[in-house]
Parts: sequence; C-alpha cells; structure tokens
Amino acid sequence: MFSSGVKQRQAAFFFALPALVLLLSVSIYPLLRTLGLAFSSLELTISPVETFVGLNNFAKAFGDMRFWNALRNTLILVTVGVAIQFVLGTVLAVLLSEIRFTRMIWLIALLLPVMIAPVVSGFQFRVIYNDTFGPLNYLIRALSGGAVAAPPWLADTRTALLTIMITDVWQWTPFMMLLMLAGLESIPVELTEAAQVDGAGYWDIFWRIKMPMLLPVIVIGLLIRVMDTFKTFDLVFLLTGGGPGSSTETIAYYTYLNGFRFFSMGYTAAIAFIQLIIIIVIARFFMIAQKRVRGGSA
Amino acid sequence: MFRRKPLHLQLIGAAALLTALSFFMFPVIWMFLTSFKTQDQIFSVPPVLIPPAEQWNLDNYIAILTQNNGLQGVRDTALVASVTAFISVSIGALAAYSLARFRFGGDEFSFWIISTRMFPPVASAVPLFLLFRQLGILDTHWVLIIANSVFNVPFAVWLLKGFIEDLPVELEEAALIEGATFFGAFRRITLPLIAPGLVTAFLFTFVFTWNEFMFALLMTRRAVRPMTVVISSLAGGHTILWAQIAAAGMITILPGVLVVVFLHRYLVRGLTMGALKS
Repeated sequence: MFSSGVKQRQAAFFFALPALVLLLSVSIYPLLRTLGLAFSSLELTISPVETFVGLNNFAKAFGDMRFWNALRNTLILVTVGVAIQFVLGTVLAVLLSEIRFTRMIWLIALLLPVMIAPVVSGFQFRVIYNDTFGPLNYLIRALSGGAVAAPPWLADTRTALLTIMITDVWQWTPFMMLLMLAGLESIPVELTEAAQVDGAGYWDIFWRIKMPMLLPVIVIGLLIRVMDTFKTFDLVFLLTGGGPGSSTETIAYYTYLNGFRFFSMGYTAAIAFIQLIIIIVIARFFMIAQKRVRGGSA
Repeated sequence: MFRRKPLHLQLIGAAALLTALSFFMFPVIWMFLTSFKTQDQIFSVPPVLIPPAEQWNLDNYIAILTQNNGLQGVRDTALVASVTAFISVSIGALAAYSLARFRFGGDEFSFWIISTRMFPPVASAVPLFLLFRQLGILDTHWVLIIANSVFNVPFAVWLLKGFIEDLPVELEEAALIEGATFFGAFRRITLPLIAPGLVTAFLFTFVFTWNEFMFALLMTRRAVRPMTVVISSLAGGHTILWAQIAAAGMITILPGVLVVVFLHRYLVRGLTMGALKS
C-alpha cells in the first residue's frame, strides 16, 4: 500500500471511477427503484400508472401461501442441499488428498460439472430423470428386476424438489471438494506427523487437527454456496418450471413469475426487497463467523 | 513414520472414488452420446447407450447450428461474453489497483463491491428491465453486456485485488521515485506482473457470461438470441429435439470445460473470488 496524501487520494479516485460509475448506475439505481416500487402498485397488464399503496405489498406477501412455499423450498435447497454438497465434497477431498500421482486427472474429471451452464445440466437431467425413456429409471428397473416401481421423478410433488437438489449436488459438490482439498493441502505435514508420533489415530487427527484448521475454508465455501443456492432459478426453469403445481418454485423463480408472467411490478419489488434483507442477514452472519474462525486459528 | 492404511480401507476408498467419478461424469458422457443419436434411439426402451458406428457424424451439430438458431446463438453469446469479459477486466483491474494500493473507501467500500455480486440478479431484474426499456436498448447486445458487467466487475475487482496484493509494492514505489506517474507505474509494472490474473479474470468472466441465462431470457427477444436462450426455447416446442439439444449443450459447455482443464491451477482462486488461494 502507498502512503496517503492528496495526490494519492486523487489517483485512488480516478482508478476506481469507471467501476463506481457502472456500479452506481446499474446497481444502486435498481436498489432504490426496487425500494420505491415495493411501496407502489404497478400492474403492467392493467395500466402503466404507478400508485402509492404503502405497506400493502408486504402485507400481501405475508399472507401469500405461494410466497411462503417458495421460501420454504429455497431454504430446503440452501440447508439440506448445501449440507449434502459439503459432506460429499469433504469425503471426496479426503480421498483425493491420499492420491499422489494421478490426482490431477481425477480432479479435472470430477470438476467438469462446475463450469457447465445450469441450462445445459438442467436439460440433461431432464432426460436422465424422464420416467419412460430416462436412463435412471431404466437402471432402477434393471437392478431391481422390476420389483421397485420407478417414480416419475419430475411429475411427482414428492420427488420434484429432490430432482433439483440432486442436480445442484451434482453441479456443486466438486466445488466444495476443490476447496476442501486446497485447505487440506495447506495444512503443514509436520503438524499431523507430530500428532502421529504422539499416538493420535487417523480420526483423532481428522477431527481435532484438520477440521479445526479447515474452518476458514469451510466458512467461505458455505457462504458462496448458500448465496448462490439462494438464487436458484435456471435449474427450476429448465427442469420443472416450478411444477408440478408450485412444488418446486424457489423464491427467485416466484419473483420471476410475478415480474415477467403476471407483470405485478410492485409486488415483485416487495418480495425482491425481502430477499435482499434475508441475503444481507445471511452475509453478515457469515462475515461474523469468518472473523471468529480467523481470529481463532491465526 | 507413515503407516499405510489397511487394505480394506483402501479398497473402500477406491470404490467410493469410482462411484463418484461415474456420478459426476455420467451426465456429460450421456450428453455426448446423445448428440449422435437419432430421435427414435432417444425414446427407445431399453435406452441405446452407444449409437451405431455409422451415426458418428456431425448431423445433429449441423442441424442445431443451421436450422435452429444455433449459429446466431454462438455468435451472440461469444460477442456478449467477450465484450463483457474485456470491460470487466479493464474496469476491474483499475478498481482493484485503487483498493489494493490506496485502500480506496476502506473496508466498507470493498464490502459494498462484493455485496453487489451476492445480490440475487432476479431482485434487480424488474428495475433493470424497466430502465432498459425506457432507454430503448432491450434486445440488443449492449443490454446483456451492461447487465452482465454489473455482476462480473465486482468479481474481477476482488480477484485482481488479490493478485495485486501479492506483488511487492516496492517495485512500483521505485518507478514513482524515478518520475513515473501512478498510472504509468500501474501500466508498465503492475499490469505485466499480474498477467496470469488478468487471463484468469478474463476467462472466468467470459464463462460466467457465456453460461448466464436469466438476463438473456428476460432482456432479449428476436434480434439477439444467446445460446442458453436458444437451448431453453427448444424445450417449449411440440416435439423436443433431444439430440440437437445435446449437440447444442456440447457446444455450450466447451469454454467451461477448457477453463477447468487448462486453468485448474487458478480454479480455487477464481471460484472464491480470490478469498482462497491454493
């Protein structure tokens, strides 16, 4: 970092200016506009006139079962789905950390899903889950000799949300694996060897030395996954379209429906605003957690 | 002092890894195989795993590109993604320098920049849609470039900030003493040294924009049709052309796969916006 002074401050400002202009105009503006719209009624199917309605939109959201349902579905994906990604990713990272020579090949093969567009994976999984010609049900029938009734995964309200979760697990477990592997690699070998000399077993070393040292990595990994899962839209759009019924609608998908199918712009802004508040609360929680684990292990 | 693990544990580990490998590779391999099948083979029960030898041709690829807007999709997506990546890296590098070397705006400003990345895009979709409609730029390449830049500039800023902080500041200070301006020191010393970072940031923002779907869906109609929109539009038809969609999928995943294969050294950094380094 440079020393500070008038010239430095001017330079700092000019270096940051292009980013400032872009972000202020296309990020602060929508935020303020959302806030304004959230207290208004703007039904584009009826008229282009915006009228002030106070807290009506928020009251509507509070009594809207479909909104709560979308929030519940999102929270299931964020908690259960991300937890599965974390556990599977950790197991895979531990397994990979013991491979030496061929690790790169394994890593690349396992990491493929991470950079694939959710639109593409959504489509592929639609084929895989298909109840008549999909390979998944063929496998279930073949392995069980027809004894197990293969479910219509996407058309059954009991399994539809699960299909989205599995697809997300497929796409993002490798991400958690990559992070945990990087974390495991950064633990000094001397530390685990010293523990071994002192008679610590494999699981002692794992739970008492490795996992505590991995906490900062875990916090960042979970933060990123929780934030991104909260936005789940593409997969729902491609896999189920929110159905059957509204059993797989996520909060992002329900926001989209209100804005771009029902054209209730005021109500859309209100539920968008509620999402922003939830996101800020989650982000702050993780920031505090991160400060704690950093302070604890440094 | 290293004890080898017992054989049965090694076997369980190997079996678990192989299971994981087939789980994570299967959809990609299945898509690859599907892209060579005929429509009948897709619906057949039991499923056709490997298409017959004479079908290993590019018919489905040519069909999606020439008959179903694929060519336009690739062209539009490539244009939007490369311009977005270029803008994000240019603006991002400048802002990253300001944050790394001058602590511009302090921690609060850094946090604000990263928070714009965390916000759900769908929350800003309505106001942005109304704004872009007023400006009359809906259904243009620019609308997607602007919308995507909002999410990719913060990414580039944070990623490049880490790369700049890794450099010793003394190099630039020496140049300043010899009479270079701040911008001169940035251009001639910092930029060449963070070249790997610039490439990483460019390729990541390129792939993020390439894969982006929601803005592409909402902000375009006819004049611009990104690849992700082309693919999703093939789902709505009377008959779903699975083989052509698989071919389109193979084309679409190409940049991402190349990044994983050739950039895996920077994958941890890229996917965590520089928060973790491997």
